[in-house]
Amino acid sequence: MRNKLLFFMAIIMTLLALIPVAAQDDEEFIFGMVLVGPRDDRGWSQAHYEGGLYVEERIPGARMLYFESLNPSDTPETTLMDVVSLFVDEGAQVIFTTSDAFEEDTNAVAREFPDVVFINVSGDDVLVGTAPPNLGNVMAQIEIPRLIAGCAAALTTQTGKIGYLGPLINAETRRVSSSAYLGARYCYENYAGGNAEDLEFKVVWIGFWFPIPGVTLDATEQSNAFFDDGFDVVMSGIDTAEMVIVAGQRQQEGENVYAIPYNSLEGCNQAPEACLGVPYYNWGVAYKSIIEEVQAGTWESRWDWVAPDYEDMNNLETSITGFALGEGLSEENAALLQEFIDELVAYQMENQDSFFLWQGPLNLQDGTILAEEGETVSLEDIWYLPQLLEGMQGDSE
Amino acid sequence: MQLKNIHKRFGQVHANNNISVTFHPGRVIGILGENGAGKSTLMKIIAGYQPADSGEIWLDGRPVNYHDPRDAISHGIGMLQQDPLDIGAFSVLENFVYGQSGGILLNRKTSRQQLIALCQQFNFELDPDTPVSQLSIAQRQQLEIIRLLGLGVKVLILDEPTTGISAAQKEQLFNTLKRLAKEQNMTILLVSHKLEDVLALCDEVIVLRAGQLVGDMQMPTTKAALVELMFGAQIQPVKRESRLQPNTPIVLDMQQVHLHDGRLDIPQINFSLRAGEVIGLAGLDGSGQALFMRACAGLIKPHAGRVFVKGQDLTGQSYHQFNRSGVIFAASGRLEEGLIADMTLTEHIALMYEQNTWINWRRAHQFTQRQIERFNVRGKPDDPIQALSGGNQQRVLMGLLPENATALILEQPTRGLDVDSARWIWDQLLTKNSAIIYSSADLDEIMTYSDRIIVFYAGRMKVIDDPHQVTVSDLGHYIGGDFS
Amino acid sequence: MRERLIRLGFTSGALILALGVTALLISMFDHSPIDVLETAWDGAFKDGRRFSAVVNFWIPLTLASIGLVVTFTAGLWNIGIEGQMIIGAVCASWAGLYFEAPSVILIPTCILLGAIGGMLWGMLAGLLKLRFGVHEIFGGVALNFIAANIAIYFISGPWQPPEGGSAQSTPPFQAAATLPRISDDLQFNLLFLLITIGAIIAIGLLLMFTRWGLTLRAVGKNAQSALLLGVRTERVTLSAFMVCGALGGIAGAHRVLQAYSSLRPSPAGGIGFLALLVVLLISFRAWWVPFIAFALAAIIAGSTRVKTLLQLDQSLAGVLQGLIVLTILIFNGLADRLTRKDHHE
Repeated sequence: MRNKLLFFMAIIMTLLALIPVAAQDDEEFIFGMVLVGPRDDRGWSQAHYEGGLYVEERIPGARMLYFESLNPSDTPETTLMDVVSLFVDEGAQVIFTTSDAFEEDTNAVAREFPDVVFINVSGDDVLVGTAPPNLGNVMAQIEIPRLIAGCAAALTTQTGKIGYLGPLINAETRRVSSSAYLGARYCYENYAGGNAEDLEFKVVWIGFWFPIPGVTLDATEQSNAFFDDGFDVVMSGIDTAEMVIVAGQRQQEGENVYAIPYNSLEGCNQAPEACLGVPYYNWGVAYKSIIEEVQAGTWESRWDWVAPDYEDMNNLETSITGFALGEGLSEENAALLQEFIDELVAYQMENQDSFFLWQGPLNLQDGTILAEEGETVSLEDIWYLPQLLEGMQGDSE
Repeated sequence: MQLKNIHKRFGQVHANNNISVTFHPGRVIGILGENGAGKSTLMKIIAGYQPADSGEIWLDGRPVNYHDPRDAISHGIGMLQQDPLDIGAFSVLENFVYGQSGGILLNRKTSRQQLIALCQQFNFELDPDTPVSQLSIAQRQQLEIIRLLGLGVKVLILDEPTTGISAAQKEQLFNTLKRLAKEQNMTILLVSHKLEDVLALCDEVIVLRAGQLVGDMQMPTTKAALVELMFGAQIQPVKRESRLQPNTPIVLDMQQVHLHDGRLDIPQINFSLRAGEVIGLAGLDGSGQALFMRACAGLIKPHAGRVFVKGQDLTGQSYHQFNRSGVIFAASGRLEEGLIADMTLTEHIALMYEQNTWINWRRAHQFTQRQIERFNVRGKPDDPIQALSGGNQQRVLMGLLPENATALILEQPTRGLDVDSARWIWDQLLTKNSAIIYSSADLDEIMTYSDRIIVFYAGRMKVIDDPHQVTVSDLGHYIGGDFS
Repeated sequence: MRERLIRLGFTSGALILALGVTALLISMFDHSPIDVLETAWDGAFKDGRRFSAVVNFWIPLTLASIGLVVTFTAGLWNIGIEGQMIIGAVCASWAGLYFEAPSVILIPTCILLGAIGGMLWGMLAGLLKLRFGVHEIFGGVALNFIAANIAIYFISGPWQPPEGGSAQSTPPFQAAATLPRISDDLQFNLLFLLITIGAIIAIGLLLMFTRWGLTLRAVGKNAQSALLLGVRTERVTLSAFMVCGALGGIAGAHRVLQAYSSLRPSPAGGIGFLALLVVLLISFRAWWVPFIAFALAAIIAGSTRVKTLLQLDQSLAGVLQGLIVLTILIFNGLADRLTRKDHHE
């Protein structure tokens, strides 16, 4: 009897607690966040979700609505249109669709709601010219931290074999993995004292941004396969961080193996001692400035490929992307890596229209020349990279 | 055991009407009645398979109340089904243990001893470890009997126990039942259409007609007296003249046919069926009749050889092709092969006769009504077929046979029917003028209706061209495998 | 009549029980069931757009379900419905991408191609069963897998967008393939609506009044008896697969034309499996399909909103569906027991 009473009281208390939440804030600015994976995937989607929280913290009255795991496997019955129209009904004025998978749908939906600003992350509709005026694209220049990550891997590898677990094959994933390769090749020769020809750099594509049982390859299995084959550093190009866990387990069994996750500052958390560092996104910086522009009425549709803050790449207030060192990186190698970073920053300070190490002679995987000796690859050519680079193993399409 | 004022209705049918009767221990009691008289219903009420609408069952001077067969067994009442209900994949021992209290593992050892002891007591040859699916019908019955004995049953009900078992097996069964009554003071209730069985076994008989108890009779008595009680009149034995004219054309021809299934092999069948000819197939269950009949209808494809229907080579063709050439097959398992449970009589008729795109349900309904009257079926056009009694289902099945078939292949067409119904079915069949191949467990029936007889034994065939040249006891020898 | 009332009573009882348990679950997660219900209700019926979303989900779900009524009547577990939808979607997509014609011709062509594609894919499941003895459940699962890969092949191969594929989608269909809406408020397509309603009525009538319907039922209840009663069982089985496949194919065409205007990796979106659920719930009675399908569509639309606004996990809808199915099946069993006593044996 008493228990029952307590139970009902608990329900009533809960209801009362809910009421103030429901009260509306007059100064509220609502924005929507559509995630392709779960908000706590320790990877891509979590990075965006945290970007939204960053905005909520820093802009008074900003409130985020989010929808996680919008993809054909988890929520086959829900379309982007359904989600966006819910957001708009609630008063959302800016909506971020945070995956290349939403590119086409965002374009269609944006036309349906011309009064709402849409930002598709990693799409190129504005660049191609197919975007309506209320649609913009944002991407971070993750290639820079990727170069650093590749260098960290090359400094650490003993076997000279670096594995790269990629998602699906498109221009974005090609240029990102190629950047890692360029960083690795450069450091292997110039800092680790190896011969660039001896470095093995192998890409395996799992089939989607994150592993889906029965549809894509299993990330844990593939990580193990890499380590079994003598690869002692596995880098991630996918949204999730299985390779870190696997490397951690293998370290406990006495193996000398490491991993480099991707996307989120938290990527290393599951096995810090096996983690060399993580190239991460800090989307909040970009999201905050977009929302401030919209609030001020100055926002215009554009394609934004945002560079890190070269003054301090790891400044969370200013830099959209960076590379956080992991506990697995030795002090000696950390010092060498810092030398490489200094070299890179020095180059980028001088050259805003190209990336460090993306200079000729560079060939594509099939031998086609990408850049002659002394030539620099333009940002647009990097964006649309048609194949992996010569020297990398793995499928280009 | 006493039954007091038992009533049971199924819709409009009053299946049991105010039945009161006392069964004494130590006796074998026959329950007689024509099809649909309410015998099976009454037995199912006693055995707990269905409740009575009203009335009471008293045991040892006290009213008892039970809701299902398990409950009935715990009160000491067990029933042997027409088709023994057992679980094919399990072994004899597991089946025996099934339903006993205390769990399968605990009792295994003692159960095995109990099973062996019971088998010895009654001379049953049952190996505890044989899968039930490999047992013959008679052996399954034996298993079911000792299973029920193992559960402490004092009243044993048997519904048509002699269907599908050999004469020797029947004798053994009857001896067992007599011993159970005399030595263990059990009450044995026997439902049967076979007057010989009742005469040979029972100490007394009760007779049901149209749901009512119309009489009882102490043994010994005569067959004629029983028939009179059942039908109110004596039945004349049927004598049929052969209709077969010489030189009628061959309608079905098998040349060098080799049939084969998992257990049986019938090499080299050369056989022809003439128009209007009636051929009876005799033999123990599983001797090859079923295989042969299905091959005649194109339901199984011969291993080798050719099959012609009206001169046309139909070897390997589908049943549909045979059908179009006028060969019609009706199987013995009525609700398994032939009728469709959950469909009404009208739907069955429509399936057979309404061949247009749109079904004229009114016409089908009227035609069904006519067939019901013509074939004397107890049921209504909208009744689902399984609501009819077995005999009435058989009548429906016969009513579904087309009038102008070339050859009818009928598996046990009068199985489970009383003498009167069986004769009536035959009257209907013979007026169709189709050639008929049929099987039967009733040798009198085989002798009465066949122009030729084929006896099967373990895949071998003996053709008897003139039934007048053999006696029933000759047939019995052949059936036992003595072909000389 | 009494039987109907009992069934109705039991079904509503089951629904109430399922809702009750869900409400309890919701309160355990510190949410008010009333809030959730209100949010969900608005999610399905707040305005024309919400309602249209429900209808646009209802159309393919109903088409697939009504197709499954046919195969279930014939005693077939057509798990392959999902693959039949996908192939329908792929075929419709070809026309949407490359068959240049005005809307009046293009859209019916898409639908027709979808129907043909689905029909052939359904026929394949039937042939596997009849010719090679592959049970339709296993055949269906395999064919679903193959169909999904065919879709992915076209998306990442021959039909990828000119700017390079990301394996996510083909380019958008031609403008002429855009489905006209009834109005700004009712954002669904009249032609598809009519086809769906027509399919319900046609299948319902065919099952009741034609020989084909009767033979389907006969084969479904007892194929061996049906064969002996002169039914060409193989033909009937095959026809059931083909009709179901065709309806599934139309559903697939609707998915690509309405929801995406392009071909996507899983265009059927699990609707085929949901349709299996619908048909199980209604014990294969065609007339109930539109209502149950509508209820499920509304629950799903509502739960999307609940997920977004209250941050309750969307799997709540799955839990609710599961509960409804369970309770209805259990209550159906009870109703069977009650009503069976009226019958013989």
